[in-house]
Amino acid sequence: MRVESLTGPVILSLIIATVFQLIPTSGVWIFWRPNFLLLVVIAWILYIPDRFGIGFAAMVGLLADTLFRTTLGHYVLVFAVCGTIAYLLSRWLMYLSMFHRAILIFIITICAELIQAMLFSIWDVPFALNYSPTVAAFAALSWPIVDLLISRVQVRRP
Amino acid sequence: MFGKTSSPIRQLLTVVLAAGSLMVVDSYTTWLSPLHKVADNVVRPLYWIANIPEGIQDWGKISVISRGVLEQDNLRMQQESLIHLGQLQRMSELAAENVRLRQLLNATELLMDSVLVTEVIGVSPNPRGHTVTIDRGRDDGVYVGQPLLDAEGLMGQITTVYSGHSIALLITDSTHALPVQVLRNGVRSIAEGVSDFNRMTLRFVSPTADIIEGDQLVSSGLGGLFPVGYPVGVVTSIKQKPGAIFVDIDVDPSAQLDRSRHLLLVFTTGDLGRGGSDR
Repeated sequence: MRVESLTGPVILSLIIATVFQLIPTSGVWIFWRPNFLLLVVIAWILYIPDRFGIGFAAMVGLLADTLFRTTLGHYVLVFAVCGTIAYLLSRWLMYLSMFHRAILIFIITICAELIQAMLFSIWDVPFALNYSPTVAAFAALSWPIVDLLISRVQVRRP
Repeated sequence: MFGKTSSPIRQLLTVVLAAGSLMVVDSYTTWLSPLHKVADNVVRPLYWIANIPEGIQDWGKISVISRGVLEQDNLRMQQESLIHLGQLQRMSELAAENVRLRQLLNATELLMDSVLVTEVIGVSPNPRGHTVTIDRGRDDGVYVGQPLLDAEGLMGQITTVYSGHSIALLITDSTHALPVQVLRNGVRSIAEGVSDFNRMTLRFVSPTADIIEGDQLVSSGLGGLFPVGYPVGVVTSIKQKPGAIFVDIDVDPSAQLDRSRHLLLVFTTGDLGRGGSDR
């Protein structure tokens, strides 16, 4: 497969994830919404680790920083750490069922929340960790859709 | 971005170092501000796309409605309008009396505020950063520091202005504080955000201060940024930890910070030179 052929699906997946991330919500949904950009990044790294790695995760993290108006570098760090975990686990992907992958996403999201809590504490910004299990649960529940869509693109490769 | 031979851990360390440097530079300098501004303009279409589902929902609510409901709404609004008109007559009498009393006291006359209606076109996807993007910008006379209201109370202030849109920091953001006073007795304090849409705290309040649960807080006007007298919140709980010098006071914000879509930008008479004159 030519190198450029994945550019379209990657950009499209990032735009869709960004739009889902930006849809205005109210009440507890503000806190419960999973990070769709992170899910998409993990999916690409898990399925095509030879093309997408820690650098890709860091670049999308930079995009997330500009979108979320956080201090530049904040999501770069979060995405890079989560991307590294996904990259290291990608070689065992074929042995993992959808359920196992969802559990993996739950754990990675908890890691992301802990790193964020640590970073926010440095800047003295309050961070309610009690929402983290719910965020991780919603991320795990959303995962099958992301997984199926990205795996479809990946399977179509000649 | 990285060579294929470089190990994942080495790559991660490089990224962590780069991210740390970025955070330090972005937090302690303004060197990256132009980048933020460019990025905000670039991602604005995405905010517009993200608002489409809500726009469709709103359109559906307006377009698909039965005649009976419309008639009921109309009747209710007519009744409300009558009540409000009655109250307004009383208000104008009170306002005239207030002006007379102020003249007797040789005090400055209260300035009338004019407002500009605006709509929220984006909210910060980060639950810890309480900001909203509105559809008015420099072209409409919006300026940095301008107060923002909803139908219930004070929402926040404008922090960044672009030509066609602006970003406002909400009063519940953890970096925001505003001077308030108790409506009942005028006791002054500072209300701070704690990154929770339903809660703010009062800082440095003495245990002997005359503040009780249920007290209505309004903006005090001190500092000159927010106009005086707009509702900020209601005191919900007062706790004193043993040995603490100050009491912990929680406030429930009056404004529907995570729900309101149509907001008001306030122009006081003092702002006329900054662009509010033609309103």
